[in-house]
Amino acid sequence: MTTPPATDMASVLRDSSLVVTCGPGGVGKTTTAAALALAAAETGRRVIVVTVDPARRLADTLGIDGSSANDPFEVTGAGRDGGELWAQMLDAQATFDRMILDRTDDPERARTILTNPIYRSIAGSLAGAQEYMAIERLHQLWSSGEWDLIVIDTPPSRHAIDLLEAPDRLVTFFGHPVYRVLTAPGRSLARVTNAGASAFLWAIRRLAGPQVVEDTIEFFRALAGIEAGLRQRAADTAAVLRSAGTSFVLVSSPRAEAIDEAVHLAEALRIGGYPLAATVVNLVHPTPTPIDADTLAALADIGDGPLADQLTFHRELSALADAETREIRTLRAHAGSTPLVEVPLLDDISDLAALAALGSLLTSGL
Amino acid sequence: MDVAAGSVEAWVHRARVAFVVGKGGVGTSTVAAALAVLAADGGANVLLVSVDGKPGLGPLLGGKPLSAREQTLHSTAAGGRIRARTISPEQSFLDYLELKGFGGMLRRVAAAASFDVIAGSTPGMEHLLVLGKIKELDRERVADLIVVDAPPAGHAAPFLRSAAALQDAVSSGPIREQADEVAALLADHGRCHGVLVTLPEDTPVSETIELAYDLEDRLGLALAPLVVNGCWPDRPGLTMTATTAARKQGVTVTAATKRSLDAVVRFGRARVDAQRAQLDRLDRELPLPRVHLPRLPVARLLPEHLDRLAAALGTEPIAPDVERTGGRR
Repeated sequence: MTTPPATDMASVLRDSSLVVTCGPGGVGKTTTAAALALAAAETGRRVIVVTVDPARRLADTLGIDGSSANDPFEVTGAGRDGGELWAQMLDAQATFDRMILDRTDDPERARTILTNPIYRSIAGSLAGAQEYMAIERLHQLWSSGEWDLIVIDTPPSRHAIDLLEAPDRLVTFFGHPVYRVLTAPGRSLARVTNAGASAFLWAIRRLAGPQVVEDTIEFFRALAGIEAGLRQRAADTAAVLRSAGTSFVLVSSPRAEAIDEAVHLAEALRIGGYPLAATVVNLVHPTPTPIDADTLAALADIGDGPLADQLTFHRELSALADAETREIRTLRAHAGSTPLVEVPLLDDISDLAALAALGSLLTSGL
Repeated sequence: MDVAAGSVEAWVHRARVAFVVGKGGVGTSTVAAALAVLAADGGANVLLVSVDGKPGLGPLLGGKPLSAREQTLHSTAAGGRIRARTISPEQSFLDYLELKGFGGMLRRVAAAASFDVIAGSTPGMEHLLVLGKIKELDRERVADLIVVDAPPAGHAAPFLRSAAALQDAVSSGPIREQADEVAALLADHGRCHGVLVTLPEDTPVSETIELAYDLEDRLGLALAPLVVNGCWPDRPGLTMTATTAARKQGVTVTAATKRSLDAVVRFGRARVDAQRAQLDRLDRELPLPRVHLPRLPVARLLPEHLDRLAAALGTEPIAPDVERTGGRR
């Protein structure tokens, strides 16, 4: 690749067809994703933002309600110059169900899967299910060709690249020899002769009890027909995520725990071959205008009182701003020449105007 | 709501297992560490457990990053101490196999199927294994109090609910027994408590209210006083202009100083007002006593900060002001 990385957020948005926001929990990642999507829609593009679990306030802002879960809907009043903003909330269970129905020819077989107790608990709670569903949905949106830009908000995760590893994990899972033996046609449990598989079954039976074994095998057998499709989509999606039109935007706060996780994530992205396109640091405290040392010295022994309260707060806030600047510097080192935008601590976003203001702030450059 | 009565300080010496839970970014690890310090300062032998292997907890207590190998981090004059470790599903799985007499077969099983396949083929199993391990540690009475830094909300609910989910999915066998025992631990108000942590902000408060009812109604988990972390200082001086403040203290300050102070005060006032609105919501919607922890003006917490937080944690909880706000229970 010869194109140098974009140096401002507006260019990142303009040059991307897929933006993936990632970062630790509690730093305003979903809000950032929505604001970026809105900013892109204001430039005339047709944009969809996919979020996993938006906070109620943001969901209200976008007009998401429970009934619209899993179906894309247009955010009214957003977008200029022919641009549109659509939003979609991911529900892992519903996406999983739909995938099974879409991929299974035989309705009886689909029903077997959907009512299997193992499936019922897998679809909702299996580690990585949410991440996998985000990938599945991304694949659908990408291949539809309907969107100029897809903004996908990843589930908060300490093991930050779960989302990116989900396809690989799934392929590994379905490629496992034990799984192959279990799903081989025409075999009953009693006739499983492969040494590895029988040891596995023996272990599962002793650990989990015979009922779990039966349910598990039934589930795997039922899934067997859709496995090839899953593998193919996982491979396609992995390629899209590494393609030139994909931008990863790292979102953090200036708090040490978040910075540490964000640094870890930046490193994981780099190793995984997913180039970091931009960094957003939310929740940054304001830096007070300094008060000169002579004034502070003269006021040092005024005793308790309202002015002392104000001076104390000024001192604390100044110290905090300094400390945050130091933390952000660490992240800046990882950002290299890509843009890093600091966003001040804001009130909760509760309407589209506030979201648009945030979008302008993010894209107005360094 | 069934609430552990009295102060957190008294409560930490009655409870045996405390699950510290909250949305990502609210400071559950910090609160878990401060809770451990509070208990140890009162003479308790504490085991601090990190479920998702956050290594930062060790350094926060002046030690090395946490690992599966237990380390002693803190000893107190009162004879208390804090040991800490991580508990991973993988390690719990091996421990469980050993407990169930699989020792000799371990290698064959490991060769036959990776942990991912076994855990992945029995959903909720990863979480149940970790909870089962905590239950075993409690049964062996390895500490007076086990403080568990549980995964963040979104993950906290599936984690704590895994036993109930497996009780629904599995009707017999060892997994069922394990699920039953874990569910019994969670619902045992004499042994086990949930410590909810939030920030005085809209989204964390909404999620905490939801999580509190969920944990209590569905799991029967007894809830300790709610911890509101990161509270802005509500100082009387922040209600007036710098000019007024200076006059009240009988000093004069320059116009530039006034401007700088006024800007800071406006910011502080806005935070305190927003915080008040959220605390009012808690008064109305969550009948749990609360302790408020101060927002420390640092970006990176150090061991010395924990003592301040532990002290704040030990203060008498504030009862929700239902009368004033017309709460629902």
